[in-house]
Amino acid sequence: MFDLEKAIAEWRQQMVAAGLKKGEALDELESHLREDIAQQIQAGLTTQRAFEVAVERIGGAQALKSEFAKVGRRTGFLGMLKGVLMGTRGPERASLFAFTPDAQRSLEQARAEAPRLNHDFIGTEHVLLGLLNLQSGIVPNVMRRLGVESATVRAEIEKVIGPGVPAKRVAAEIPYTPRATRALVLAAREAEMLRQRQVNPEHIFLGLIKEGTGVAGVVLRNLGVDINRARDEIVKEMNLRKSAG
Amino acid sequence: MGSILRKRANYFVDIHSNTMHSVIMLEKELIAASTEPLILSLLSNGESYGYALIQEVKRLSEDKIEWTDGMLYPVLHRMEARGWIKSRWGKSENGRKRKYYSIKKDGHKVLKEKREQWSAISSVLTNLWKEQYV
Repeated sequence: MFDLEKAIAEWRQQMVAAGLKKGEALDELESHLREDIAQQIQAGLTTQRAFEVAVERIGGAQALKSEFAKVGRRTGFLGMLKGVLMGTRGPERASLFAFTPDAQRSLEQARAEAPRLNHDFIGTEHVLLGLLNLQSGIVPNVMRRLGVESATVRAEIEKVIGPGVPAKRVAAEIPYTPRATRALVLAAREAEMLRQRQVNPEHIFLGLIKEGTGVAGVVLRNLGVDINRARDEIVKEMNLRKSAG
Repeated sequence: MGSILRKRANYFVDIHSNTMHSVIMLEKELIAASTEPLILSLLSNGESYGYALIQEVKRLSEDKIEWTDGMLYPVLHRMEARGWIKSRWGKSENGRKRKYYSIKKDGHKVLKEKREQWSAISSVLTNLWKEQYV
């Protein structure tokens, strides 16, 4: 007499032996297996045949194990950022999830600012301009209060590093500088620390400040901006918005 | 194109591109690419579970899309890890343990995006074929 419970227990053991972890995933597969067996029996198969068919259909342990192993792999912020920064995807296609729509717009703006200044790289200064170009929102508001507008920042950038020669690269291929990359990674960390799922323009600004050594920091200091105050004001507004909604 | 559509070939495919077997190359890639939009679309109609999703896809595709059953679950887990869907353990009508999935806000966003992409491709092809066959 075919013992279904024994057969299922053995099937589980085989799965575990092949490296599939015990626990929820295996429980779920077993639940599926039982569902399928019940259906097959109802359709007229013997219990043993129903079991065999269901096992066959659910797939081999090796293949399942390797697919489940891929799930845990981290493709969060940093993984997505990598795609953006390597230029394999423009920030506009970066991901719905890594950046809020405003943050995406600011990065598009950063990419547009570089060729405007004849630069064939995206540095912290372009990222800063991208944020100011948003016009509205916490970062542009706070910066305006501190007397910083995109026109003055652009002029100061030209003073600090000068305009480049007309860029050879098309906008979509312009790479980020190591410092800008670092600033965005720091922005992603800020978002993670604040337990927010997406990087927003404020996180990017905080990332820029934390990075500190880039042209953006130099430009802000040259314009007489008190960096600590800027950070405090941004954080304060973020908290206000959070408690408001 | 009629001949292609009329052919009721039964492709046996895994969901994942790298572990799929199918008769025609394009088919397996199409099916792999369509897995997530299919799951999201089904879940946008309400909560469901793995076995039911598989049956539903089989039925709607008239058995043209057949997933290796187990392979659906890594896909579901990945979608959950990305925050598109969420899950909870529940009980079936006859008391069996069952894991239910439902779509989240981000899932709706992704579905909308995927829908636009698939519609764009579909309308281009439809227009092309219309011109060719009129």
